[in-house]
Amino acid sequence: MDPIDIDGRAGEGGGQILRTSLALSALTGRTLEMHHIRAGRGKPGLLRQHLTAVRAAAALCDAEVEGAELRSGALRFVPGTPKQGTHHFDIGSAGSAMLVAQTVLPILLRVGGQVRVEGGTHNQSAPPFDFVEKVFVPMLARMGADVSVRLDRAGFYPAGGGDFTIRVAPSELRPLEGAMSLTEGEVSGRAIFTRVPASVAARELAVLASELGIPSERLRPHEVRSRGPGNAVQVFLDGSVPELVTAFGKRGRPAEEVARDAVAQVRAYQAIGAPVGEYLADQLLIPLALGGGRFRTGPLSSHAETNVETIRAFLGPDALTVEPDGGTVIVSA
Amino acid sequence: MISAHTLRYFALLISCSINLDMKTVVLGFLGSTLDRGFGDRRWDRWRPTIGIGQQEDLLVDRVELLHVPAHQKLARLIADDFVQVSPESEVRLHRTTLRDPWDFEEVFGLLHGFATSYPFDLENERYLVHITTGSHVAQICFFLLTESRHFPAQLLQTSPPKKGEDLGSHAIIDLDLSRYDALARRFAEEREASLSFLKAGIATRSERFNALIESLERVVLRSTEPVLLLGPTGAGKSRLARRIDALLRSRRQLAGPLVEVNCATLRGDGAMSALFGHTKGAFTGAAAAREGLLRAADGGLLFLDEVGELGLDEQAMLLRAIEDKRFLPVGSDREVESQFRLICGTNRDLRAAVRDGRFREDLLARIDLWAFELPGLAERREDIEPNLDFELEQVGAERGEALTMNREARARFLEFATVEATWPASFRDFHAAIVRMATLAPGGRIDRPTVDAEIDRLRATWSRATEVDASLKDLLGPERLAELDRFDRAQLADVVRVCRESKSLSAAGRTLFAASRKRRKSTNDADRLRKYLLRHDLDWESVRG
Repeated sequence: MDPIDIDGRAGEGGGQILRTSLALSALTGRTLEMHHIRAGRGKPGLLRQHLTAVRAAAALCDAEVEGAELRSGALRFVPGTPKQGTHHFDIGSAGSAMLVAQTVLPILLRVGGQVRVEGGTHNQSAPPFDFVEKVFVPMLARMGADVSVRLDRAGFYPAGGGDFTIRVAPSELRPLEGAMSLTEGEVSGRAIFTRVPASVAARELAVLASELGIPSERLRPHEVRSRGPGNAVQVFLDGSVPELVTAFGKRGRPAEEVARDAVAQVRAYQAIGAPVGEYLADQLLIPLALGGGRFRTGPLSSHAETNVETIRAFLGPDALTVEPDGGTVIVSA
Repeated sequence: MISAHTLRYFALLISCSINLDMKTVVLGFLGSTLDRGFGDRRWDRWRPTIGIGQQEDLLVDRVELLHVPAHQKLARLIADDFVQVSPESEVRLHRTTLRDPWDFEEVFGLLHGFATSYPFDLENERYLVHITTGSHVAQICFFLLTESRHFPAQLLQTSPPKKGEDLGSHAIIDLDLSRYDALARRFAEEREASLSFLKAGIATRSERFNALIESLERVVLRSTEPVLLLGPTGAGKSRLARRIDALLRSRRQLAGPLVEVNCATLRGDGAMSALFGHTKGAFTGAAAAREGLLRAADGGLLFLDEVGELGLDEQAMLLRAIEDKRFLPVGSDREVESQFRLICGTNRDLRAAVRDGRFREDLLARIDLWAFELPGLAERREDIEPNLDFELEQVGAERGEALTMNREARARFLEFATVEATWPASFRDFHAAIVRMATLAPGGRIDRPTVDAEIDRLRATWSRATEVDASLKDLLGPERLAELDRFDRAQLADVVRVCRESKSLSAAGRTLFAASRKRRKSTNDADRLRKYLLRHDLDWESVRG
């Protein structure tokens, strides 16, 4: 079979094309030849977090790789056969460990296995561990996947040092259902904190109570273990499709402002009225293309659109269909 | 379908793939202020050393972190934090004995020692010297030692995050790329101030010369007696005198000026008054009193070069001045006093001059208590490269521009300078070559054509080619010489020259195969040399003949 030629400049560009391509190359067994990786960015080519993703994907399917070098603009990835196994990846703080998890998870769904990742678990640049645990994994379960995740230590930016494990039993994906209409459910909030005063969490929760009217029994401060300081406000919406928004605290940013950021994200999700939120849509595209089914989401971000194009390059132009429907979009496979 | 783009990219990929396994090693000082912080809040601040580990486009395999004993705890924490943000990295701590990070001499000595003992592996590792942390003096020394290629490295500068960003940034500066003018300017003033030490920092590799310098330094620091420097023209006697002056000055053993006199220019009537001064009206034309050079050197250092050229009267007066620290200016009846350290230089055999009655025996006995003989450049081939760096620096400073030499030009020049060149006038020839190249170099950057032209010029001057042929003709005879290609002649001539300069076949072998020797597990250079000679129907004895 011919290699798949992927132009890194397409659409939004960036690391997502790479991550999706790596996963699909491993799953389809087709050689990936990617060029112009992250061309046009301030620091073009592969950065450390991308290299880690390449190495992780290669480890899961015994791939032969050329061009896996820092700042490399071209990559050739010749996948072997994915095998069940136990892997451990140690990642620095600057890139997110969650993005590496995102790269390898589709491969794990096929063959099963256990992957332990150390590094940043709570980091502005990617949905945090809790999103994977409370939103993405339950949706995969609906498609028949048997996935469990466990956080042993949170790794907040910039100290990193988090530690989590993903366990997957091999399974055949079935079509996604029940993701077309939104039934709102219970709303709960929590303020995660570590190595910062508990009063920060209390102030954040007070904002969630007053702005979103969440009753106090569903608001809790949540202290976690980590090697560096960290704080985040999360609101969980347990509707027909779960959604979790996260706003990160940062030194010099008032607790109230962090909480209001989370409130604004909740309102934006509710205003669109589609069950599948922006980040979940992005992550569901590969499982959907592999297992079939459909979901309704808001207008696709350019990030998601690029992702759709990359998936089509591997699985064919009909692998995913995107149809606008009123103010929302239906994605089906 | 593979697009044309892909093909081009993969061609590129393959062409770059030579360095794929190159490791990146950072050398730097622990920042006692900038890297400081033990509590959780340390993560909120920019710490330059940690920042290196957080760069998304820089992967560091190893960090060599120097620190003072007092900061051991901080160093350990920084090492742990570094590995946490960059698990791919290894951090090695180097506890130094540095007492005062602001003492130029001490810091320079420490880093120079580190650079010379560090096992640089340029085939497998590339080095970055981090100059953002450490005292200002440490930064300057790092810069100088990198510029002089004691650290075969590029410079790594880290900067704090810009407003609205989380991560700081970094910049890699290649001093070979003459694009570092701004940085060079930043250090220019400091360099002026430390020029004396920079001279001391020419990393001379010749063991003989280094031993000489060491004992010379001991002598001038422990004794105030005169020192005599012997050596051929251009061996660097004046330079060494200036270096001694700088050394004494840094140890606060000198307060007065350095007065340099070439005695060859002092012959005749004016010599006496130039050296010892005169009173107003002492002789016709003495319209005003003159202090004299010896008096001017009061409290400082007097360097009398070509001391053998001094007249007998002046010699007598000088002896008096050395012994009593007093002398009589011309036309004066009052002695003046001057306390000075004395260094004399000569390229003449002063004992022969004594025998001929041209030099006072008692003066010689007074000035040659500590005599040091300087080898010429041709006897110190291993010192040519450090001296090239020094000369580039010096000539550049004199011309008021950054003088650089690109890699190719540098390699070509060094090859010529260390193998083929004879340097008959030693450092004077060498210096002149650099000055000519600096003058002809486009934009202060010496390139390959400039070097080639200079080599041609030197060859013509020394007419070395005829020498080569002459030496081989005796050995091989005219017929066999005629059969040899010019290519082989040059090689054989050099081999023969090395053999004649070496004590044994093994010593010659070591010199001739010095470069590859380090890379080989087993060495049998003597055997290689023996076989080479055999191919030309020669052996050790006949070559030495």
